Amino acid sequence: MWRFTAFEALLGPEDYNPDVTLPVHSSGAGRNAVARNARRSSRSRPAALKGRRGCERRAEGAMWGRLCGSGRILLLAGAARHCGRPHRTQKLFSTSSVLSATEDEPTAPTDSTTKVASKEGAAETPKQKLLKMIGDMKVEVTTKRKFQQLKEQEIKKQATNKQEGLHGGSSTFQNSAEDVQRSKPLNPELVQAASAVASSFPHNKEQAESELLAQLRRHEETTDKQRRGGTINICNVISEMTVKRQSPAQRGVRISNRISLEMDEDGQRIKPGRPSSHSDSGRSLKAGKRLNIFTKASPETENALKTVSSPTIWDLEFAKEIAAVTEQPPRNGFEEMIQWTKEGILWEFPIDNEAGMDDGAEFHEHIFLEKHLKDFPKQGPIRHFMELVICGLSKNPYLSVKQKIEHIEWFRNYFEEKKEFLQEI
Amino acid sequence: MPEYITKSFSPRFSFPQDPTAAHYMFHDDPYLMPKNSATARLFSLSKESGRNAAKYIIKEFPHFFDKILAEPNIPSLMPEICTPQIEGVSEEALRERINLRMVKASVDLFDQLLQAGTSISLETTNSLLDLLCFYGDGESTQEKESEEKEDLEESEVNASEQETPKRPPQRGSHPFASRWRENNNAERIFKIMPERNAHSYCTMIRGMVKHGASAKAYDMYTELLNDRHKADVHTFNALITAVPFLKDRFLERWELIKMFLNHMAQQEVQPNVQTFNAVLKTLRRCGGVGRSMAVPVIKEMEALEIEPSLATYDHLLSIFYRSADLASSGIISEVLDDVEKRSFTPQDPDDAKFFISAMQVCCDLKDIKLAYRLNKAVEKGDNWKFLDMDRLNSYWSRFFSLLCMMEQIDVVLKWYKEMSPSLFYPSPKNILDFLQALDAANHLEMIPSVWEDMKQLGFSKRRDLLEEVLSLMSRDQHPEEIQLAFAKCAEDIKTVHEQSGRDQASVEWTGSALGSVTVLFSRAGRTQDAWSMMERFQQINRIPTDLVMDEFLNCAKQTNSPDEAIKLVKLAASLGLPSSQKLKSRVEKEFKLSENQKKALESIQSDSDSSDSDSDSDRD
Repeated sequence: MWRFTAFEALLGPEDYNPDVTLPVHSSGAGRNAVARNARRSSRSRPAALKGRRGCERRAEGAMWGRLCGSGRILLLAGAARHCGRPHRTQKLFSTSSVLSATEDEPTAPTDSTTKVASKEGAAETPKQKLLKMIGDMKVEVTTKRKFQQLKEQEIKKQATNKQEGLHGGSSTFQNSAEDVQRSKPLNPELVQAASAVASSFPHNKEQAESELLAQLRRHEETTDKQRRGGTINICNVISEMTVKRQSPAQRGVRISNRISLEMDEDGQRIKPGRPSSHSDSGRSLKAGKRLNIFTKASPETENALKTVSSPTIWDLEFAKEIAAVTEQPPRNGFEEMIQWTKEGILWEFPIDNEAGMDDGAEFHEHIFLEKHLKDFPKQGPIRHFMELVICGLSKNPYLSVKQKIEHIEWFRNYFEEKKEFLQEI
Repeated sequence: MPEYITKSFSPRFSFPQDPTAAHYMFHDDPYLMPKNSATARLFSLSKESGRNAAKYIIKEFPHFFDKILAEPNIPSLMPEICTPQIEGVSEEALRERINLRMVKASVDLFDQLLQAGTSISLETTNSLLDLLCFYGDGESTQEKESEEKEDLEESEVNASEQETPKRPPQRGSHPFASRWRENNNAERIFKIMPERNAHSYCTMIRGMVKHGASAKAYDMYTELLNDRHKADVHTFNALITAVPFLKDRFLERWELIKMFLNHMAQQEVQPNVQTFNAVLKTLRRCGGVGRSMAVPVIKEMEALEIEPSLATYDHLLSIFYRSADLASSGIISEVLDDVEKRSFTPQDPDDAKFFISAMQVCCDLKDIKLAYRLNKAVEKGDNWKFLDMDRLNSYWSRFFSLLCMMEQIDVVLKWYKEMSPSLFYPSPKNILDFLQALDAANHLEMIPSVWEDMKQLGFSKRRDLLEEVLSLMSRDQHPEEIQLAFAKCAEDIKTVHEQSGRDQASVEWTGSALGSVTVLFSRAGRTQDAWSMMERFQQINRIPTDLVMDEFLNCAKQTNSPDEAIKLVKLAASLGLPSSQKLKSRVEKEFKLSENQKKALESIQSDSDSSDSDSDSDRD
């Protein structure tokens, strides 16, 4: 079982260095992060390769932030299987400083062997490869001839691997690669059995097929890698994911954008398997129909609806809450002064000696009080006296206009009352 | 100065802001100058807390403050009168107590009036109901306390602090469902009311929704319909926000919303912007249905010529970008188009969340251009006011993380310098991102200055940051002066590990941290320091890696100190490391050893013979 992951694919097999611990960027790696990873690995390349440890770390490589989930489970499963193998192989695996190319086929379950995937060029980028892989899977399901052809090839390989397993120790890279290419015996029984399996599932046909596919891709991957010296195929991970997509338990798994599934929170799929870019391209705020529930109110009715009522505690508190949204502490001294002025803590400018005397009267009402003497005699001692009174009042800053007028009123009433006596005199 | 003059001085950009200065509110007291976001938050409240303390004293000991007259009188500096002036049992007194928001006293007085057989006007009863429903009855004192505090704080403090006590009940979410108690005073008074009008029903519904009794609110609404009254727009808004608690399935929720909206149309209630915000807020919790219905709702707003508020956009973003599915990137740029065109006044309590969630979307999309556009929009007009201190911090920290991820390093550095203390205090994650950006751009020589900033920010004890700094510094060989600076930095980090603070525990050494510090000392040629670090390995039962030991040996060779080299071999042997053999042969080959030293080296060999075979078998 090969335990290469996509991170290697991005770096290319030569760049691969298992000794590097990679930070997991859970939100997917940005441009810089990729650059960084690449640099890191190339810098510390000379460090010794340590097979087992490296493999484990690779499984958690940074690029897998997105494609986590079943991909990792699969790798772990591989590891578990690995443990059950003969002691000797394990040892070889752990100590070998070459790219550890231990075969895992003998222990792999044989029931699901059916066919081989198409042959991609090594030059394709992993992403293209991935997409193509998914596309191929769907096509292959329908074209039966190709299906069987591929199947046969796969069987050949498997048999080879079996042979190797019997041989026991051929663990170095070249040996196994050569072995694969040399002898490929056929096993027609297996072919038939597998195709029967594939076609005999009435409901889960698709699932069964892709499961088989997944298995086959792993084999194909093995041979491919051996041939090219370790390019990887991440399709094993992907195909595993596609198989499981029907179970609601998989909801949490966030697969990369292209194959992400539109899942309703109810657990029902809305658009199974459709690429989401297609469904969302039409979504825009500009296009679309309105609800057509309300009709626009004419201004008259709007005004009519506005009933004048005293604000309730709800209104007051809502206003307060809204005001709090944009409330900011002053950012400089001037703003603070503005605020203080509003609160009445600072004097209003320009300075005004009537500040705080809020009786609503202008200065001339305080000073020119003659107009209040209309009811008094035009001349004589009373007039003279009253003129002195208003003179005094106009200079008095402590009384309000109203008080001054009341004062004058009082004298008017007084003289009115004493009118008789005065006339006597 | 007249306000128009001060106002003309004050706009943000007529004063070039000093990017190294803290916010104006901290200028008062140098002792209260914040260093990181936690202290900034704390100190920003200091003024207000002093004010509250003073008010508490005045309230508790009013007899000490008998001379409260001033000429001219400044009401905002005077204590508020909270004791009722009208004595006796009368409707007047009741009304006064309601106005003073004394929940319990009002209820008592109401009961007394009722017992005395006085009829109370509908209007007064309704305002009593308002009071009871708003505060959810019962926990009046506590509620009142916080409410009063809010009133007092209103003058200046940043909004977040005020809202924290109030937010949770307002959501009316499940944790607070128990707040509306069965048969509380509000329900009791409502029941014994001789006549009820629409207002009585409406305020009951609003109170029930606010305090989490959604099902009851719905029942109350049916009662209102049975009594042939009409609800007002606020009541409908409240009911719409309660929908997620009434129905479980998404489609049913939407049907219920539609029903309420149709009722509004039938009862000739004109919706306002809060109505649509409530609809969208509920659609946030409707999954796929929300996604498909959001656009028609927006269209309806347009048709009614209701301008969306920022909260509207906030809900939209959260509907479309909740999952990691980011293919619908068209929405955010359309939203930004709209936001750029207008300037906003607050209309909804959720308005303030928009800029943060929009920045979060930019981060998720890794779209730096969108982020720049958004930032422009924030700076426009009075929009900045929507970001109070806490929100500002999280907004900028998201922005900064995005910059670190996507921008050229010199641009990142420029932003870092401009915004670091004046706009926000970087979080540990920001520093981590920044370090990674430096690494990606190959600017590791900046690390010592970043370390200084980290100390300033109080992150010197964050283990993850320490490890990152150390591993970055020790990874590669650098020119000598940089190595020297790094070694100084390493010494700093060493003291962080070793100082035993009186109040807090010092940071524990880890193997990798020790290794990195040793490597850094070795590369700077500080053999003695490096050796003291090597000794520490033994103390804490860690094993140095081969790389560390090689580096140390190189250093010993450069500084020509064979003693240290022998000590290293001894150490390796005593730890039973397989590499001790290799080290020994290196020492023999590369150093000029005196006779004594040679002997010492020989003796080590014999010691480690037994362990040698062990390690051999291990390796097999």
